[in-house]
Amino acid sequence: MKTSLPLKILNVIGLIIMVAIFAMPFIWMISTSLKTLGETMVFPPKWIPDELIWENFISAWNSGPFLQYFMNSVLVSVGILIFQFITVIPAAYAFARYEFRFKNVLFSLVMVTMMIPAQLIFLPVFLNLSDWGLLDTLWGLILPFATSAFGIFMLRQTFKQVPEELLEAARLDNSTDFKIMMKIMVPMAKPTLITLGLFNFITHWNDYFWPLVMTTTESARTLPVGIAQLRQVDGGVAWNILMAGNVILVIPILIIFFFAQRHIIRAFTYTGVK
Amino acid sequence: MRSAKWRPYFFVAPAIIVFLVFFIQPIFYMIYLSFHDWNFISPDKTFVGLGNFKDLLSDPMFLEVIRNTLMYTFFTVLFSISLALLMSIWLNKQGWMYSFVQGAVFSPHIISLVSIAMLWMWIMDADYGLLNWVLSLVGLEKVPWLTDPNTALSSLIIIAVWKNIGYFTLIIIAGLQSIPKHLYEAAALDRTPPWRRFAKITFPMLSPSLFFLTIIGILDSIKVFETISIITKGGPLNSTNTLVYYIYENGFIFFKIGYASAAGVILLVILSILTLLYFKVLSKRVHYQ
Amino acid sequence: MAKIQLKNVSKAYGNNKKVIEDMNLDIQDGSFTVLVGPSGCGKSTTLRIIAGLEDVSAGEIWIGDQLVNDVAPGKRGISMVFQNYALYPTMSVRGNIEFGLENMKIPKAERKKMVEEIAEIVDLTEYLDKKPQNLSGGQRQRVALARAMVKKPDVFIFDEPLSNLDAKLRGQMRTELIQLHKRLGTTFIYVTHDQVEAMSMGDEIVILDKGHIMQQAAPMEVYHNPANQFVANFIGTPSMNILSKSMVEEKTGTITDERISYVGFRPEHAAMQVEKLAASGINLSCEIITMETLGSETLYLVNSDAGQFQVKSFQAPLVETKKVDITIPMDKLYYFDTQGNRVFVEDIPFQTPAREVRGEVLV
Repeated sequence: MKTSLPLKILNVIGLIIMVAIFAMPFIWMISTSLKTLGETMVFPPKWIPDELIWENFISAWNSGPFLQYFMNSVLVSVGILIFQFITVIPAAYAFARYEFRFKNVLFSLVMVTMMIPAQLIFLPVFLNLSDWGLLDTLWGLILPFATSAFGIFMLRQTFKQVPEELLEAARLDNSTDFKIMMKIMVPMAKPTLITLGLFNFITHWNDYFWPLVMTTTESARTLPVGIAQLRQVDGGVAWNILMAGNVILVIPILIIFFFAQRHIIRAFTYTGVK
Repeated sequence: MRSAKWRPYFFVAPAIIVFLVFFIQPIFYMIYLSFHDWNFISPDKTFVGLGNFKDLLSDPMFLEVIRNTLMYTFFTVLFSISLALLMSIWLNKQGWMYSFVQGAVFSPHIISLVSIAMLWMWIMDADYGLLNWVLSLVGLEKVPWLTDPNTALSSLIIIAVWKNIGYFTLIIIAGLQSIPKHLYEAAALDRTPPWRRFAKITFPMLSPSLFFLTIIGILDSIKVFETISIITKGGPLNSTNTLVYYIYENGFIFFKIGYASAAGVILLVILSILTLLYFKVLSKRVHYQ
Repeated sequence: MAKIQLKNVSKAYGNNKKVIEDMNLDIQDGSFTVLVGPSGCGKSTTLRIIAGLEDVSAGEIWIGDQLVNDVAPGKRGISMVFQNYALYPTMSVRGNIEFGLENMKIPKAERKKMVEEIAEIVDLTEYLDKKPQNLSGGQRQRVALARAMVKKPDVFIFDEPLSNLDAKLRGQMRTELIQLHKRLGTTFIYVTHDQVEAMSMGDEIVILDKGHIMQQAAPMEVYHNPANQFVANFIGTPSMNILSKSMVEEKTGTITDERISYVGFRPEHAAMQVEKLAASGINLSCEIITMETLGSETLYLVNSDAGQFQVKSFQAPLVETKKVDITIPMDKLYYFDTQGNRVFVEDIPFQTPAREVRGEVLV
């Protein structure tokens, strides 16, 4: 299986082009974010700005209540994460380890919910939240995602793989069910929980649709919605400011991706690989 | 021992309550609303039977929306899968170089659609965009990517494919790696030419992954909203208006709640069919293993 | 310390699949009782019922003088060693041993002392802070033992604890467990499918089949006095040879006892000779089909006109010989009825042994 040298070089060139197609836009984003407005309006475009305009980030940050957006984003993402762990772990444990009436019915309900996208139910949920006075609140962004069908499904699989003997040993050790769950099952499911946590954090950090629909003022808006509205600030499009805003949005995720690439890929490809 | 009987119900209750309140009830509420005429502000909901559905189906704009959605979905899935198939065969190798490329290709998948939409809006800018610059390098004319009704939908498809392809590639690579090596060894002993090897071993063994991607791809594309909302707002001339954006527009901008709900019910029907199909094939696959 | 009693215990899964039916079992205080039987005989279920890991469908379980049907497993004073050790993988050796004590709300200082004492006994002191994954099979086994011992239970339960060890280690652990039992004097209940393990370890053996107790007795009693054909078959390697009544009658004349339909004898009791033997017994001329030499002994599979059977001999292997004469002593015969139950006879139940056959087949 020897490959000739020209073929090898061709292969590497191909790979470089491939990386360029997927990475270049991000470099372009960063490059733009450091330009003056004038520099964005030249053709052919410039890759490296004459002078790095770091002020663009400050302008972007100051063009709206971004501290609030950022805090809202953190609260929503972390809040969802905490709620999901509280609801998903016991549910997954029950579905994996107990026999009870209506178990199959309830689990079918989980599977059905897994297939219902937010885009299908946003209108009635919006009406409900408005009735309950939860529009424009962080609760309206957190509660609908306070549990995760996908999380229950995935964690149940993991819990099912824990050998029955371990649980029996724990019962003989006079352990309560709750302690079995927290001290034996949860530590054993740590990789799955990390995966789930990353998946959920990234998904909800990035989410634009739900906060856009469920908020009408800036009090509960999150970063993606705030960034998307940068565009409407002035009449024309200030691409340099816009891209600076997006760099702020993208950088945390790219940093996490850099450090936890394998976990993240596992998290996002879990259903498909199975 | 008595309390143990209730424990599982107690454990699943929080999750089930959230599902019922935020997912299941809204579905039925939406179906209910679809038979009514309501503008959100007035206290009365007028029962109109199938009126909303009749209006929808006789509205040329809605038919266009359906057409756009189907076109968008079909081409996005088609290109995503076929390109990902080629790339996965290329990238299915060991070594830091390949895992780096895989990571790079995958990265758009975890970026907020807001950033992707704005970034591509800028890249596809007719006057100063990067894409037209690349075209100019090979001597082509500038293209008004997002501002021309003839090219806007295709441009959105390009963006979607760019975002999807890394994810699709990784799924297919995982599928490729799960094909038992001995099949290829047997084929090599039989002196099978590469093309036949692909057609007779690789492709059939990949079919579960490809089927999964098709369904996921369709489910994902059919609910496209972010890029449209940020980049085109359904325009120009309704050429990129798709189902979810249409529901959003009618519900939140025109306050035609009943009408929007009826469109939602149509989306529900489409999703249900796809989901049933998916689980049916999935359960078969599990049985054969 | 406690004796254990099962009274009319039944266990069924679903609607009709009975695993155990109306079982009555007494396990003496301080005994080393081995439950043995083929897979699916209900031995593990019995064990798990005693431990409280399975509910019973009917009947009573008594530990000491307490009815424990509704007592949680952790409160029955039982420790269990599992087949795969069932060590908590996310806890250190110390954590594993301590977990049960923690649940018993024993103060921390005392716990620490108990763990260290036990670690000393099983020779694990230097591994206390290691994770089970980093230990060898034998060490894991000892952690499992330590975890069981530290709770000072009334009853130890072992579910095929040695089946994952290699042959040499298994032998070693066998003796260690026997010594442990002697030292602690606690009731041991031990499940295995391996009859050699059962014979060598138990002071009492319970042989189970299809959810019924076939026999409960001391090891040598079970070997010498099997209660039925099943036990006769199950205990002893190779198992007892069983010949049908009609085949035997051709050699010995009519069997007088009507209850008898099968005649059995152990392979090691059949005397194989190339020359005439005076002792009374059933004489069969046989052809050797296969031969397995095992060092101290040799196993032959032979064919006679009374059927195929196995013979174990402690003499030098008969390499060249094809035909042999085999005598089965009358007093080493076992008799069984149509159901396979043992038939006890006082006299030799044959009319007239057909002596004339003997002379013809000698080499």
